[in-house]
Amino acid sequence: MIKNKRGALEFSFTWIFAIIAGMFILFLAIYGVTKFIDISKSSQSAQGAMTIGVLTNPLESSFETAKRTTIRTPVETRIYTDCKNNTFFGKQVIEISEKTYNKWSNQELHNFPNKYMFSENPVEGKTFYLFSKSFELPFKVADLIYLTSTKDKYCFRNAPSDIKEEIEVLTGNNLSVNENFFTKISDCPLESINICFSGGSNCDVNVKEDYVEKNGERMYYEGEALMYAAIFSNKEDYECQLDRLMSRTGQLSDIYRDKSNFVFEKTGCDSGLSVQLVLLKNIAENIEGSETINTVYNIAGDLSRENEYGECRLW
Amino acid sequence: MVMKTTSRFFSIFPSALKGNFQAPRRNYIKKANKKAQMKVQQMSFMLLGIFLFFVLVGMIILTVSFSGLKQSATDLKEQNAILLVTKLANSPEFSCGNVYGNQKTDCIDEDKVMMLKENVGKYLDFWGVSNIEIRRVYPENKNMACTSGNYPRCDTIKLINKPASGYGKSNFVSLCRKELYKGQIIDKCDIAKIIVFYEEVK
Repeated sequence: MIKNKRGALEFSFTWIFAIIAGMFILFLAIYGVTKFIDISKSSQSAQGAMTIGVLTNPLESSFETAKRTTIRTPVETRIYTDCKNNTFFGKQVIEISEKTYNKWSNQELHNFPNKYMFSENPVEGKTFYLFSKSFELPFKVADLIYLTSTKDKYCFRNAPSDIKEEIEVLTGNNLSVNENFFTKISDCPLESINICFSGGSNCDVNVKEDYVEKNGERMYYEGEALMYAAIFSNKEDYECQLDRLMSRTGQLSDIYRDKSNFVFEKTGCDSGLSVQLVLLKNIAENIEGSETINTVYNIAGDLSRENEYGECRLW
Repeated sequence: MVMKTTSRFFSIFPSALKGNFQAPRRNYIKKANKKAQMKVQQMSFMLLGIFLFFVLVGMIILTVSFSGLKQSATDLKEQNAILLVTKLANSPEFSCGNVYGNQKTDCIDEDKVMMLKENVGKYLDFWGVSNIEIRRVYPENKNMACTSGNYPRCDTIKLINKPASGYGKSNFVSLCRKELYKGQIIDKCDIAKIIVFYEEVK
């Protein structure tokens, strides 16, 4: 009887030990595998963010106008674009989150100091369109990139002829399921985001002569590149990107001023723009929001004329 | 019968011969404990072995997957360099614009790049590559590095003043500048290569 009891005790202790140790090993294994899956998903998202940045390189334009490229993702994806201006040129942040097993993965970010992207935050879908326009002040400062999803339909109501033409060139007058820009009201799907150029009802975005009104907020612009930027982004990102663009304008002004002096010393060819370039740099770097963008454009206009008819062109 | 039983008892529990009748039970427990300890030890070694085996397998999987990750990161850097080098000449810091007649693609303003070299501090991480070099291909000037002292009688403009490291991707471009020739200001364009360097992820 005693022996049996002892046997039972010995047996149960061994089992208890095995069960505890086994549970510990299983827990570690499950924890390790879960972490590994998380890391794999994060690395995929990080690769995706980097890939989007890399794929925007060909959007650097020379003298052509707006052009569009397509990005397709294998799974439903959310692309978050953010702007940081904590460094001299600031940073374009791109974050990606992918839907797997009906769950969105962690956002992984990548920074690009040489990119300026404007989009809804986030844009979601499997097919995305990117198009770019050159931002000039008066020399080329950067290419602005606009990111949209084929899920978001944009209806450009009563757009001026040049904008209408440009959009038609971008879309190729294509009315496929994936098309998301429409210039004819009759073609616009019901769920479209209405962009109104001369007022009207049911407008999500109102484009006026010098500002774009969206979500009750005004974003001031000059030129088509900034107009599209205001249409596709929100006030906070728009102002931040404008600030980054002004920093780059200031830096390019320095380069052109140095070039002007350098070419003059070397050849005697004088652009006569040195003083105005310093002025442009000062105004651009001290601009306080888009409300005062016209002050930069006024001096940029003068510079453009003088450069065009000057003895020695700088750009 | 009683003798036989007693001798068997003493053969199993010899300590009882010394008048210690509590000892047989203790010895039995000791033996049982030793047996249990052995089993626990066996199981511990077995579990430790299995645990170490899985840890090793896990480490091998991690090493393989992370080396793949590094390769992917390097591939992305390479892809970035390839795409960047084809378009870099059109970016505002390099492009000719309308300075040398009409607008040209893949045309680098050499005077502007020399000034960019002087102001490159703020651009160190701007393009996400380790270095950018512009090398005149024709006409050659003994492969000399360009400084403000020997410009334009030189061949190589290294934007970042450090030895080129990593891998390079190149593209042919025209390299134009203003020059004084027989008292006349002329546009002079040479054939050059723009090389973008990227480093392997280690």
